[in-house]
Amino acid sequence: MLHSLKLFLPALIPSWNFFDVIVPSPRIQYALLNAESDPLLEWQVFRPRPQYISFLTMLKRMFWNPYWNESLFLVSCAERLIEYPTQHSEDEISKRLISELNSDSFTSITKDKTHVRFRLVFIRREGDKLIEEVTYQSPTQRLREEGFK
Amino acid sequence: MNLELALRLTEIMMGFAFVQQSLEHLRAYDERIIFLPRLLLATLLIVGFQTNWVSFILLGVGLVILNRFQGPYNGGADRMGLLMLACLCGAHIAPTTQWQEIALGYLAIQLILSYFISGWVKIINPQWRNGQALVDVFHFSSYPVSESLRDWAKSPRLLLIMSWLVIIFELAFPFSMWSTTSLIIALMIAACFHFANACLFGLNRFFWIWLAAYPSIIWFQQRLFDTI
Repeated sequence: MLHSLKLFLPALIPSWNFFDVIVPSPRIQYALLNAESDPLLEWQVFRPRPQYISFLTMLKRMFWNPYWNESLFLVSCAERLIEYPTQHSEDEISKRLISELNSDSFTSITKDKTHVRFRLVFIRREGDKLIEEVTYQSPTQRLREEGFK
Repeated sequence: MNLELALRLTEIMMGFAFVQQSLEHLRAYDERIIFLPRLLLATLLIVGFQTNWVSFILLGVGLVILNRFQGPYNGGADRMGLLMLACLCGAHIAPTTQWQEIALGYLAIQLILSYFISGWVKIINPQWRNGQALVDVFHFSSYPVSESLRDWAKSPRLLLIMSWLVIIFELAFPFSMWSTTSLIIALMIAACFHFANACLFGLNRFFWIWLAAYPSIIWFQQRLFDTI
């Protein structure tokens, strides 16, 4: 109850400091493994942005935008994982990552893989350059439940 | 606009915003357990069935959602929804009309602050004043919805102008309370601003929930004007 109130208070007395500073921005990357102790890690960007989105698609997304809103929630989880690490944030990222990797569109790249890891890369500007820094790497996790083919 | 109409319009518009949000969560089984009841409650709010009880239950559901995601799922949009619900609940349990006005007035004041404080935190930041902050938003933040939008970072002069337009509008927003006409114009500009954010950064939920707070501020401006 006390925890709920703690979460509720910023809504009741909001700070409204949207975009006050542009903080380092997280990207989630994952690596598929052939075994739990597979040393070869080839990192891929999770949910890369499309190159282009039409205005019509933008209009549709005014009403139906679950995938992008979930991606924004994952950004929040990534930021929380660094600011005040909790198992919840790691689980939310893992759950959604594993669920997506087990979907039909990933079958061709996951069929021989057994495990997965994710890492967080934070991008920030230093002078004129963009700096990428790996700030978190998850434990290795099974890609599928035991007995699942 | 009278108080009763402002409260009812807030309920209806917030109800639609909640329906839109809830539908987006129905794909996931473990989220459906929370968001299907929320969808039904929001529909009841729209049709005007027992809105006092429904508002309180929706507030309870809102707290469950906060716990489920250990914070807001969609940042400021979720917080605005909870604030709105809290103000509506306050208005429903208010013993007198004056207390109802205080509850809805609080929402209106928070809406004004949402623009003014956003402008203030930007103007005191040199990165915003020289346009670099908005360049960074397009260059490497998580918000642009496509890679092609990142090319906007190559137009720093345009982004400098956009930065100052946003800052000036946000800081000037409280002055629009001068008259109903100026407020309506300001709200139309603000709605365009939220629409642009929804298109460029995918912040569609902000658009609907912020619009839902507009009846409260239109009522508040007219109430202040009547008092003066």
